[in-house]
Amino acid sequence: MRAGISPAGVFGLMLLLTAAAGSFVFLEMPLGALFTGSAAREAVAFVGRFIPPETDPAFLAKVGWAALETLAISLLSTLLAVLGGVALALPAAGRQGPLARQAARFVLNLLRSVPELVWATLMVLAAGLGPFAGTLALALHTTGVLGRLFAEALENTPRSPAEALTGLGAGPLAAFFYGVLPLVAPQWLAYALYRWEMNIRMAAILGFVGAGGLGALLYYSLSLFHEAEASTVILAMLAMAVAVDGASAWLRRRMAG
Amino acid sequence: MGFSLEGVGLTHANGFRALHDVDLRVAAGERVALVGASGAGKTTLLRVLAAALRPDGGQVSLLGMEPWTGSPAALRRLRARIGLVHQAPPIPPRQRVVTAVLAGRLGQWPLWKSLASLLYPLDPEGARHELARLDLGERLYERCDRLSGGQLQRVALARVLYQQPDLLLADEPVSAMDPALSELTVALLNEEAIRRGVTLVASLHAVDLALRHFPRVIGVKDGMILFDMPASQVREAQLRELYAAEGGVPMAGVAAAADVAAPPPLRCI
Repeated sequence: MRAGISPAGVFGLMLLLTAAAGSFVFLEMPLGALFTGSAAREAVAFVGRFIPPETDPAFLAKVGWAALETLAISLLSTLLAVLGGVALALPAAGRQGPLARQAARFVLNLLRSVPELVWATLMVLAAGLGPFAGTLALALHTTGVLGRLFAEALENTPRSPAEALTGLGAGPLAAFFYGVLPLVAPQWLAYALYRWEMNIRMAAILGFVGAGGLGALLYYSLSLFHEAEASTVILAMLAMAVAVDGASAWLRRRMAG
Repeated sequence: MGFSLEGVGLTHANGFRALHDVDLRVAAGERVALVGASGAGKTTLLRVLAAALRPDGGQVSLLGMEPWTGSPAALRRLRARIGLVHQAPPIPPRQRVVTAVLAGRLGQWPLWKSLASLLYPLDPEGARHELARLDLGERLYERCDRLSGGQLQRVALARVLYQQPDLLLADEPVSAMDPALSELTVALLNEEAIRRGVTLVASLHAVDLALRHFPRVIGVKDGMILFDMPASQVREAQLRELYAAEGGVPMAGVAAAADVAAPPPLRCI
């Protein structure tokens, strides 16, 4: 390899810059307006409306309740996804033959390729407004993700322990619990905890499409231009995300030991 | 209630012909050692005897049953009566020793009992008893990845002892142990077979171990039985032919010098 930029590299860079400039023109973004004095004043005033956060006890109680709802949605949906993920990962890893493998992979891809917010919109239409729709939406998408990850962990696991157990007459379930689960459990748990962390953030914003929790509260506050209230909700989301990250990191450390 | 093979042949999925037309008849309570170079077909033969591999030709009868003509349930019941000690202990590293040993009876326990025992070991004393015979009684609640290779091999052995099979098979069960421990362990296997009156077939890398402990020795070469005779009649020339490709007859080493007439004291019952 020669040092420096090749003519092809220069051409590629030019192309990229042209595309970026073209995008600004296409989207009619007044780039200059971002840097004028009035724009800066407006930005400061906008941020100022969020300070200080609302601390009225009645509203704090409402936020606390919504935070609990978000926590419950994330926890329940992740648990459901773990169950669904395991049920689909076993055939997807090819343990029940090639046909079941193809079918399970197709279902997993379908579940995974539809984003949480789209599932939430669909579930709100199907099951009505509220936390139930949010739980279902998160569970469906996360099943797709976890099922795929679980299946990959299974495929990379030696089969000899389970085969030795079927060799001494154990049934398929007993062989799974004694010969497969101990091998994949740490990895499966790490994946599940990681998805739980993601789901708690996701549960917080699913409220925007009417699926309950902190997001619903944030949506109302912003719609009514109650910026101080919105600020409290955002702080609550932040606190919860930090708490869950800490809890899951602690759990994973314990499991690794 | 021993077993018999008639004209058994087996080709592995990769096209390797591991067994050629093997005829073998072993009566109940017999103790047989399989010797031969690595790759000779000893493991395949043991896996056929464990009803784990289905041969593509010939007749197999194990403990008075034909494993491949009955229902899957009958095959499972037969397998529960056959114990195979694997060459590499097939135990999940994070599993506790007690669970790994109790798994020996998964073929006999109903599912609810197996699952309950996973949460809370149902027969720790039974597991401790078998481990104590192998000098591992203190490691009952240890995790298997904290054990050495030789200790893990003894855990796998304890599992099969706990299974109490009617046909006891062992595939190089002492390959990770030092000569003195190998001697004790092979003696223990024979003890167990005699005490319970069950059939024992073990493949051994060290020929001297086989000759010292087993009444009948079978030499396996290139997927065929080269000789099958009482241990006392095995001659050096036969062994040299058996191991011609390896350039020497493998011995256990230190133990080879031990006095055959006075085996070391046993720890077993």
